[in-house]
Amino acid sequence: MEALSNNLLVAVTFAYLLASVGYLAGWIIKKAPVLGLAASVLSWSALAAHTAAIILRWLASYEIGADHAPFSNLFESLVFFGWTLALIYLIIELRTKLRPIGAFAMPLAFFAMLYALKLDPAIKPLLPALKSNWLIAHVITCFLGYAGFGVSAALSLMYLVTGKGQSPEDRRFLVLDELIYQNVVVGFILLTAGIVTGSIWANSAWGTYWSWDPKETWSLITWLVYAALLHSRYMRGWQGARVAVFSLVGFVCVLFTYFGVNLLLSGLHSYAR
Amino acid sequence: MKQTEKPGAPGQRFWDFFASVKLSFVLLLSLALASVLGTLLPQKEHVSVYVQQFGETGARLILGLRLDDMYHAPWFLLLLALLAANLVICSLNRLPLTLKLMAKEPAEELKRSRPAQESLTLAGTPDDHLERAAAALRQAVGPVTRGEDGPARVLYAEKGAWSRLGVYLVHLSVLVIMAGAIVGNIWGFAGFINLNQGSTTDHLDLDNGAQIPLGFGLRLDKFTVEFHPDGMPKEYRSDLTFIENGQEVQKAVLMVNHPAERHGIDFYQASYGQSVTKLSANFIRDGQTQTVALAHGQWTDLAGGGKALLIEARPEVNMGGMYKGPVARVGYQPPQGEPVALTAFQAGAKVPMRGGPVSVEILELESTPYSGIQVKYDPGVWLIWVGCTLMVAGFVVAFYFAHRKVWLRLTPAGKGRCRIEIAGSTNKNRLGLTRLLERLSARLAAGAAQGE
Ligand code: HEM
Repeated sequence: MEALSNNLLVAVTFAYLLASVGYLAGWIIKKAPVLGLAASVLSWSALAAHTAAIILRWLASYEIGADHAPFSNLFESLVFFGWTLALIYLIIELRTKLRPIGAFAMPLAFFAMLYALKLDPAIKPLLPALKSNWLIAHVITCFLGYAGFGVSAALSLMYLVTGKGQSPEDRRFLVLDELIYQNVVVGFILLTAGIVTGSIWANSAWGTYWSWDPKETWSLITWLVYAALLHSRYMRGWQGARVAVFSLVGFVCVLFTYFGVNLLLSGLHSYAR
Repeated sequence: MKQTEKPGAPGQRFWDFFASVKLSFVLLLSLALASVLGTLLPQKEHVSVYVQQFGETGARLILGLRLDDMYHAPWFLLLLALLAANLVICSLNRLPLTLKLMAKEPAEELKRSRPAQESLTLAGTPDDHLERAAAALRQAVGPVTRGEDGPARVLYAEKGAWSRLGVYLVHLSVLVIMAGAIVGNIWGFAGFINLNQGSTTDHLDLDNGAQIPLGFGLRLDKFTVEFHPDGMPKEYRSDLTFIENGQEVQKAVLMVNHPAERHGIDFYQASYGQSVTKLSANFIRDGQTQTVALAHGQWTDLAGGGKALLIEARPEVNMGGMYKGPVARVGYQPPQGEPVALTAFQAGAKVPMRGGPVSVEILELESTPYSGIQVKYDPGVWLIWVGCTLMVAGFVVAFYFAHRKVWLRLTPAGKGRCRIEIAGSTNKNRLGLTRLLERLSARLAAGAAQGE
């Protein structure tokens, strides 16, 4: 089961790459909308396979006695991150029918999966500190939130790339602006829920709900940046391009919280005591 | 929205400054930037660490600005206090206006003329369409208020006025969380207990070095570690008994992620190890050897005068190529003179011994497992959880509900026709409102077609 799951994940990664190319081609070659449609079909199929792979991995974990949900290490979190990115994008596509967004959003899912494939996929039993339902809630909310921010960043990039010379009153622009904001909102609520569930877990594992360790602090930094973004709308002149740039900066904070802290700051503090 | 004071008065300017979103924007980003700094600089290290990394001047600057414990530095706390003041004043400033907007009479709203966003023309008089339109409006928005404006019929409905309070809920929650942190800091404490299997303690060592009584006894009955087949630890477990007035009053099992509680004090499984309780050693004085058994912190009289005790011991110390094995520190009180501390190595080990007429060699160490227990008393933690719940609930209200108002105006358009104009307003998600108005328009058109 584990092997089947891993093979599925390889196929899914490849499918996300193909879909990204399809969306891009469909957007550039205006005369061939069938390319975008093909990319959609491929993406939905890949998402289904991705879901199956995660469930299979979950079952496999119980089969070999490791007994935990597949949200416990970097590999599993990346696989889940890729899944949430694809899911959130496809929901937006369903609602707005704007396939060109896929040219910006799907590559994120692909890169998350590509990174995952470079890691060791072995299913290992959990350390005692990680055995907590709050931790599962924590991982799920955080990564859904990260995906909201990721899609928002993709939309922002699209806004900035396609924006030159067009009137900001264009309906399509208003839609993009609104989508950027809505995805930040989704991300912000879920990141908040993620920080809260993380605190509850830390409180029951270590006896402190907040200890200013670098990972925690970076999630707070990300949260503060997006809180500022949400308030920027209430200041004059903060719309469109500025908010798009802000959302990109926010996503850089997300990426640093996710990868940078472990890679760059681990020399100073250790997260898992 | 402004208070009655004259604009420009110093009090008013101060108030406006603290009520502004610009200030909160700057504060939020400043807190973010400061926190970045806190993750780049090592925190709570010894002075020497900063001197080594940043030089004398750098270290002086870091210590002067309290960057070595930045999250508790006065200026960082000041930023948080400013944010709290900003929140309170901004909310006080806006709440009256919000309440007024929420309490507005529908009859008053009815009279406002709004530019139409959708319009359609149908056969029949306004009165022919009135009931159908009212039903559609009630279904799409809510209870309908009716009015007349000459020959025109006007309908008005609104929903979600209460959602304007969502933002206040969010802002209040931030204050509640801050209050929880403050309560915990003032009235709470955190500390640590290292408890040997079989022993009892009635106090704990606080993180700041002080000792305080628990108010009851805590005994470690048993400590166990379970391993997975591959050697990874599976579970750490301390079996505890709480004792009051000499009576066993409560048993508890402590595991990681499974704390225990007594009288509001929480106990957490934090670490474990082996602690040496007894040392059997050769005591060599003036060329004469005697075998002694020394206990932890307890003087044992020596044959020939003087006494000795075990200060501390480690079952295994690796000193490079020089020595590898147990090491103990032994206190020795000679018959006359000051007590001294001696370092003992395994008997027969080739270690460059310090000279002197007295030395000790380890024969055997006896050890018991000990459990490291994190202890916490935090009377503010419930406020934190209440605040977090309020915050998430507030987000849902603030983001997913809107105060929407919709007006329908039915006017005779000549030749037995009727023109319906649809106008709307909302405090957020304009696109959502546009979609709602489009749906309403389509419904009215379809309803009229069916009615014919
Ligand atoms: C950590 C602190 C804060 C958090 C988490 C927070 C959160 C929020 C959220 C989620 C919204 C709704 C945003 C939207 O609808 O797009 C909001 C709106 C707002 N916030 Fe804050 N806020 C904070 C601090 C402040 C402060 C210090 C001020 C002081 C001026 C402030 C003033 C406002 C205003 C004026 C609005 C708009 C309210 C409206 O829609 O009528 N916020 N805030």
